[in-house]
Amino acid sequence: MAPAAVAERRTLSSREIWGQLALPLVAAALLAVPFIGTPAFTATLLNEALIYAIWALSLDLLVGFTGLVSFGHAAGFGLATYAAGYFAREVSADFLLTLAVSEGVVVAVALVAGFIATRVSGVAFAIISLAVCQVLFQIAVGWRSVTQGMDGLVGVPLPRLFGRAIAMGPAFYTLSAVLLVTSYLALRWLVGSPFGRTLAAIRSSELRAAAVGIDVRLHKWAAVVISWAVAGVGGTLFVFMKAGTTPMVLHWSESGNVLAMTIFGGLGTLLGPVAGAVAFVFLRDELTTHTQAWQFGFGLVFVLVVILFPNGLAGVAGRLWSRS
Amino acid sequence: MDVNFLFVSALNGVVYGAFLLLTSLGLSLVFGLGRVVNFAHGALYALGGYALADVMRRAGLDYWPALVAAPLVVVPLAIVMERLTIFPVRNRPEIYTLLVTFGVSFMIIGGIEYAWGTGTVLIATPRPFTGTVSLAGNQFPLYRLFAATLSLVVSAGVFAFVQLTPVGLRIRAITDDRDMAESLGIDTKWILTLVFGGAAGLAAFAGALGAPIFAVQPEMGTGILLDSFLAVILGGLGNLPGSALGAFIVAMTKSIGGGYIADWSVAFLFLVVGVVLVLRPTGVLGRGRVA
Repeated sequence: MAPAAVAERRTLSSREIWGQLALPLVAAALLAVPFIGTPAFTATLLNEALIYAIWALSLDLLVGFTGLVSFGHAAGFGLATYAAGYFAREVSADFLLTLAVSEGVVVAVALVAGFIATRVSGVAFAIISLAVCQVLFQIAVGWRSVTQGMDGLVGVPLPRLFGRAIAMGPAFYTLSAVLLVTSYLALRWLVGSPFGRTLAAIRSSELRAAAVGIDVRLHKWAAVVISWAVAGVGGTLFVFMKAGTTPMVLHWSESGNVLAMTIFGGLGTLLGPVAGAVAFVFLRDELTTHTQAWQFGFGLVFVLVVILFPNGLAGVAGRLWSRS
Repeated sequence: MDVNFLFVSALNGVVYGAFLLLTSLGLSLVFGLGRVVNFAHGALYALGGYALADVMRRAGLDYWPALVAAPLVVVPLAIVMERLTIFPVRNRPEIYTLLVTFGVSFMIIGGIEYAWGTGTVLIATPRPFTGTVSLAGNQFPLYRLFAATLSLVVSAGVFAFVQLTPVGLRIRAITDDRDMAESLGIDTKWILTLVFGGAAGLAAFAGALGAPIFAVQPEMGTGILLDSFLAVILGGLGNLPGSALGAFIVAMTKSIGGGYIADWSVAFLFLVVGVVLVLRPTGVLGRGRVA
């Protein structure tokens, strides 16, 4: 047989074995949380973190893997909360049907917004994406007959899956965890695919990518639409979890929060943003219960991470890992 | 269509455009000079409004001396901020300056809410501009006209400074080619700090000057920050005349569009920006590469 097969059969070092096992172990541990006597409050926080993790993953596809820094990533998530919440309340709370409808809305808007935003790159892209999100924020505030303005959309029923209601608690937690793992695996497959490698080429140099014949704009456009679609999964879960939504989900500070989770966890790593989302939710809970200056503290941590640890938790962990 | 309504909307557009000019020029100068994208510009604008209110209340000063004092309070803070947060990331891609100043804007707004609360602070219209003036049969607040005129004069001063003074010459040299300017012995770091402080002063001045018109509250800088960024992108990043043109396009679109469809003015503005970017990705007066 070819030498490749020999290489396949060589013994794995213990570090490689742990590297291979890490993901299934983490996934199993996450799924087990509500069934091992975890306090309900902690489980609820973790449930929120799982939903945020889906959102942070979707942002990492843009920032970490395509090099497009979005300052308006609340857009896809927030839009999905409204689309899903409205549909679930007015038509049907069937989870899969609601998800399909909210994804349809999110993708349709992402196609338009992404077409405009990907005309530019870098700083201009960041600002245009912020402007897109501000437009959605203003629509959420202004289109009162549908969104109920600043009061927010309330009275979203529990989701139903195959005819059975999914209660908050272990059932909904499991649904969130399964969707997070699915999103993670789908994105991991995507970034390793030829399409993902093309995005990496664009990230390292748009000019060079264009020079070798890559349609840069089309790929960036596709990346934006996919990213919004994944964020939409998170938004759909979120509106069910909170039984409603308000325009604040589209506020610019929410875009800052998700950017913080992603950077804090580690750009371009996929597992990093998941850790970042968990850290963010628990840190916010700690800080808001112990101090009024949450925003100030959040800003300070954000600045320190960007200056001192631009590779985030994943970068720190990776350095410790390779030193051990 | 009511001609009077259009006239008043256009007049309000000019007033807002004059304020936007002050903030956009600062953003554009700092970007052109050091490739620094200052997301905290809006927070510095808000800080100007609060500095004014605080100086008036604590020192018991009148509006006019407080208007001069407010930027003087903000400039040293901005210089410290530049040294501590932007300086360490100066050799990284420019998006890092955006990220760092984004965090700083949270700190400033959080600090404002901590120190002064989340409520709105009202500043009375200062004398002698409390009245209104009749323009083609419309009563228009006198202070707005005065504030717009003052903004335009200060903006003209900024242009003159950049075009006519020795420091302005160095600023233009660095904007054109930083390495070349450095090799000719220009201290680029010092000039960037100076210009950053000056731009922050302009933002704080705009916040203080606008305080009697627009209410002072912690989030007051968010809207004008986004509008300034759109103005700067529309005009072509780092291009000063372009930013001035962009400021008035944004202000007029918002004011006239907003006059008819108040709830959708941001959406309308974005539509205009979108169309411009689709036609000209480098901005109206921009050349070459999109930053």
